[in-house]
Amino acid sequence: MNSMTLNKYQLIIMADDKQVVLERILQVTRYRGFLINGINAEVNTGNNVATITMSVSSERPISLLIDQINKLIDIKGVKVDNSEVQIKQHSA
Amino acid sequence: MTESKTLTGGALLFEVLQEHGVHHVFGYPGGAIMPIYDALYDSDVKHFLCRHEQGAAFSAVGYARAAGTVGVCLATSGPGATNLITGLADALADSIPVVAITGQVPTAAMGSDAFQEIDIFGLSLACTKHSFQVTDINELEKVLHQAFEIALEGRHGPVLVDIPKDVQLAEVTQRLDKLSHLKNKVKLPLADISKALDLLTHAKQPILYVGGGVGMANAVEEVRDFAEKTGMPSVSTLKGLGAINPDNENHLGMLGMHGTKAANLAVQESDLLVVVGARFDDRVTGKLDEFAPNAKVIHFDIDTAEINKRREADAAILGDLKGNLPLLTTELDIADWQQKLKQMNIDCAWRYDHPGDNIFAPAVLKTVSDLMPSNTCVTTDVGQHQMWSAQHMTFDDPSNFLTSGGMGTMGFGLPAAIGAQISRPHDTVIAVSGDGSIMMNVQELATIKRYQIPVKVVLIDNAKLGMVRQWQDLFFDGRLSETDLSDNPDFVMLATAFDIKSKLITKKSEVKAAVEEMLDHDGPYLLQVKIDAAENVWPLVPPNTANDKMMESV
Repeated sequence: MNSMTLNKYQLIIMADDKQVVLERILQVTRYRGFLINGINAEVNTGNNVATITMSVSSERPISLLIDQINKLIDIKGVKVDNSEVQIKQHSA
Repeated sequence: MTESKTLTGGALLFEVLQEHGVHHVFGYPGGAIMPIYDALYDSDVKHFLCRHEQGAAFSAVGYARAAGTVGVCLATSGPGATNLITGLADALADSIPVVAITGQVPTAAMGSDAFQEIDIFGLSLACTKHSFQVTDINELEKVLHQAFEIALEGRHGPVLVDIPKDVQLAEVTQRLDKLSHLKNKVKLPLADISKALDLLTHAKQPILYVGGGVGMANAVEEVRDFAEKTGMPSVSTLKGLGAINPDNENHLGMLGMHGTKAANLAVQESDLLVVVGARFDDRVTGKLDEFAPNAKVIHFDIDTAEINKRREADAAILGDLKGNLPLLTTELDIADWQQKLKQMNIDCAWRYDHPGDNIFAPAVLKTVSDLMPSNTCVTTDVGQHQMWSAQHMTFDDPSNFLTSGGMGTMGFGLPAAIGAQISRPHDTVIAVSGDGSIMMNVQELATIKRYQIPVKVVLIDNAKLGMVRQWQDLFFDGRLSETDLSDNPDFVMLATAFDIKSKLITKKSEVKAAVEEMLDHDGPYLLQVKIDAAENVWPLVPPNTANDKMMESV
């Protein structure tokens, strides 16, 4: 029996609607140690922005995943639960 | 806007490369990249034909690291593209700006399991910073500019651009501005500098922990200035070697699994770590929970994701190290700590008085280091010789020590040296390799022969996979499994087959003259150095052990 305690999180990811952006998010999520419990993705064809809602669970802090998703080039921002959108940061 | 002209996709590639200052590329042709190689025929870009795509990728990495620019490699679809992957993974792990161009089967054939078709775009996701597949010729120019921009933006990394054959052949007249700036680019916020200053000024036993990010941030001067003005004792990661001035008497050398005793003990006793461009790698920290247990942490990094990833920072300063570190440069009152560590450095100094006539590898590498000209660039492969190089050679800049740090890729050293030598034709380039590693990309001796690249190879030969053998001896009850290489080829004969001058030495009395002969030789040279197969790399912090519990011998 697995005694590991998993914390569950709901992420809302805003991304440019580019090639394989969904695959990139899935790859990073798996590699960084998060299980995907559910996912929904929609594209606003007006501004070509994709909104991906993803339920994940892990024993690791969610900040680790947010930082890694934010590093993906096509990501505009990541929001956790009802907290503020964590704006993507780049160097000058 | 630049002047418009009609070009094929292949010709456009070389136009854009030249706009980004690329004069040299490394690659290997094949069916799906033939239009690009046809365009190369008319280009001013110089192509170096490597003998395996992995060699091309590592030559691009070596070129980038030695020259502080972007390295470029080319490969065809299918196996050509997959052969690049190890090099790209290496570049990702060590944050090296590389642009890889792969040919792809024509768009109409994509997804049909065509000859030499592989989804390199999909395969690239885990081993590149970003990747593109260009299915519209009108997108090609913009994508190529973006590839260079992404490779160099923030934390550097490799970018792959996959171009189907029909896109390479298609004609286009579109010309855009040279750079299309990335969206969402904003200045990183600084953390509370005053908090960091407070930590710094109250520290009694601070250590400056220097990583590979220093060289990449072009902040060597600022870090040296910080180390000098604060007087703070410093330690370096494998990739941070060369950042601190070799004459700095407060520098304790490399820390971590094969770090110096002084460096590891000092870090464990420290009350503050000022971390510059480093990431608390597991080979550095040993048992993470017991790493520098009493130290506060000030962490400088360009990558937000590295902050708090493995060690909580008490003050995080994000952004350009070159601009940020001077904000903390101040005089400190740490004379007692300095004096204690200077004495520790003396007490723990390396010894080279090895008994007997056999060659002692650390002494060979010390001799090479002492005799090599200033600004020599040294590459290594991976294993015992790599750690001995890090321990016993001295480098005056991070761009003068190129080693596969994060990925630990055997086969890196020889092609990386080729790339380094092409980027810096007037500097001496030495590849320190092992008899296991060199066989991983030995075909690149043909590249050396073809272009008469004057790389010097110091081959530390113990007829073993030495580091694995060492661990089998120490941690697997001496059960030596598949680490014997006593049936290696005759390396002198092998080098001779590639018209490379070579010599074998077996006794320590031969070392100095042989190294001098190698360095004085005008062309490529391979010096095979036979060492005792039982020699181990010391000290060694065993796995999952605190760094102050290092083994010094058995």
